[in-house]
Amino acid sequence: MNFKEILELIDKVSESGIGAVEVEQAGTKVRIEGKPAPQQQVMAAPQQQQDSAQPPMIYAAPQPVETKAEEKKRLDEESEVGLHIITSPIVGTFYRSPNPESGPFVQEGDRVTKGKVLCIIEAMKLMNEIEAEIDGTLVKIYPQNGQPVEYGEKLFAVKA
Amino acid sequence: MFSKILIANRGEIALRVIAACKEMGIKTVAVHSEADRDSLHVRYADDDVCIGPAVSKQSYLSISSIIAAAEITGADAIHPGYGFLSENAHFAEIVGECQLTFIGPPPEAIRLMGDKARARETAQKAGVPIIPGSEGAIRTVEEALDVARGIGFPVILKAAAGGGGRGMRICWDAEELPNQFDTARNEAERAFGDGSVYLEKYLERPRHIEIQVFADQHGRVVHLGERECSIQRRHQKLIEESPSPVITEELRQRMGDAAIRLCKAVNYVNAGTIEFLYQDGEFYFMEMNTRIQVEHPVTEEVTGIDLVKEQIRVAAGEKLSVPEGPFKLRGHAIEFRVNAEDPVTFAPNPGKIRELHLPGGPGVRVDTHIYRDYVVPAHYDSLLAKLIVRGKDRLDAIARGRRALEQFVVEGVKTTIPLHRAILNNEQFIKGDLSTRFMDKFTM
Repeated sequence: MNFKEILELIDKVSESGIGAVEVEQAGTKVRIEGKPAPQQQVMAAPQQQQDSAQPPMIYAAPQPVETKAEEKKRLDEESEVGLHIITSPIVGTFYRSPNPESGPFVQEGDRVTKGKVLCIIEAMKLMNEIEAEIDGTLVKIYPQNGQPVEYGEKLFAVKA
Repeated sequence: MFSKILIANRGEIALRVIAACKEMGIKTVAVHSEADRDSLHVRYADDDVCIGPAVSKQSYLSISSIIAAAEITGADAIHPGYGFLSENAHFAEIVGECQLTFIGPPPEAIRLMGDKARARETAQKAGVPIIPGSEGAIRTVEEALDVARGIGFPVILKAAAGGGGRGMRICWDAEELPNQFDTARNEAERAFGDGSVYLEKYLERPRHIEIQVFADQHGRVVHLGERECSIQRRHQKLIEESPSPVITEELRQRMGDAAIRLCKAVNYVNAGTIEFLYQDGEFYFMEMNTRIQVEHPVTEEVTGIDLVKEQIRVAAGEKLSVPEGPFKLRGHAIEFRVNAEDPVTFAPNPGKIRELHLPGGPGVRVDTHIYRDYVVPAHYDSLLAKLIVRGKDRLDAIARGRRALEQFVVEGVKTTIPLHRAILNNEQFIKGDLSTRFMDKFTM
């Protein structure tokens, strides 16, 4: 289960208004307790395992959460239909700006043209510029600034 | 000691290293290609990173991806396993430059031993017997003919950068040499990007006998006895055992001393293997493998030393844990390589493992990464499992091997298990009358 999946789960828990959900998968246990207040807590996550082949097993989860999670996944996939997904060509660290002082290369909603630099992925102290593969509107940026990304991980969604 | 080791490999050896790390309380990082997403090494490691597509060049051979994976996961050492980047001096150098520890020998030793012609020269200077042959690489057919006539036919042509049987050609007379020379050069160029070849006397019925060596950073070098790996087909080992049925204590010490001299000559550190050909009481240096070997469990079973843990300890700067003084090999161990191959044609046979039962019980060890429903990818080598059996003597080990192979069930892909069963019932094998030509005449 990667960091993004955990974040999605937190969103789900807060939206559904249920008390808590516990997920165990390949030795990783994540327990999320919801509160009526805006903040959530993530507890007892010993090792974040990035990416796994198996769907998460949800124990003692109230029925609505599971169906809602499934619905979200389905909606996510549906919302990606017709979008061009740019994935990471290398392993490394994702940066949205050329250096910490300057602003990001792109924002969600920006118009991009093929060849425009969208981000930098740092691997072995080398800054690799990732360019837009098509012309279109940038509708989604998946990783957070400074987050490690694997080969093949989703970086951007572009609507042609 | 290291806190987190990245394993730059896949399959059973990645699991083997993870096992050693777990027992030593060291965290692990698995790297994998897209084709290995469902592999056990990914599941068992503490962290895992997808480093590229199925094709090895862009994943398991991609130095920058592996280093980046080590950086984002905070690993402090890299174990290269065998194959892939394990004998790449450039990789070992970069690992060091990135303030990580390469669990293996120094880059200079890898580079020197990786060039077969220079390795031979170095061995000769260190007083290690070598097979008569050309002085370094051969450039022209005329030069090849000259050398061949000098040492007498048959001769063998080998790629200077080679290994694993590619770029090797046997010539029985002067007539076929020109064609074979061209073929060997082309094969070497294609397989290793370096068309240099050298030539040496071809032994007709040699045994492949190798010495396991280990050196620490404090100048101590030991040998851990021999492994006989004569049962090969197309220069790929199928069965390995220790001790060899023909090596006497006196010969073991002579070969071991020669191996140690070579290690000292190249300032070797960590685990290594020196391969010899043996015929009629004489042994000749063939090459040195500067990494852990596939067949290392055979030595582990007869010495009681965990070679992978020893590699990690030595890389961390600790002294060798091998006791001082003469040692004895205890009992007899045999390893069988179970490959996803047609046992008769040896054609690779990737696919889905539909049913699996692994043998167990006394004296049986199986090192494997497969499980039921695992899909054997077509992109990598065909090794599925190593069955290692141990007995009080050779016949005891053979009997145990027969029993374990009977219990070993793999369905869905063809494997070399039926071939191993047949070999264990072969009169010549049982007598220990082995040579690297054994498989040429063997029929199931």
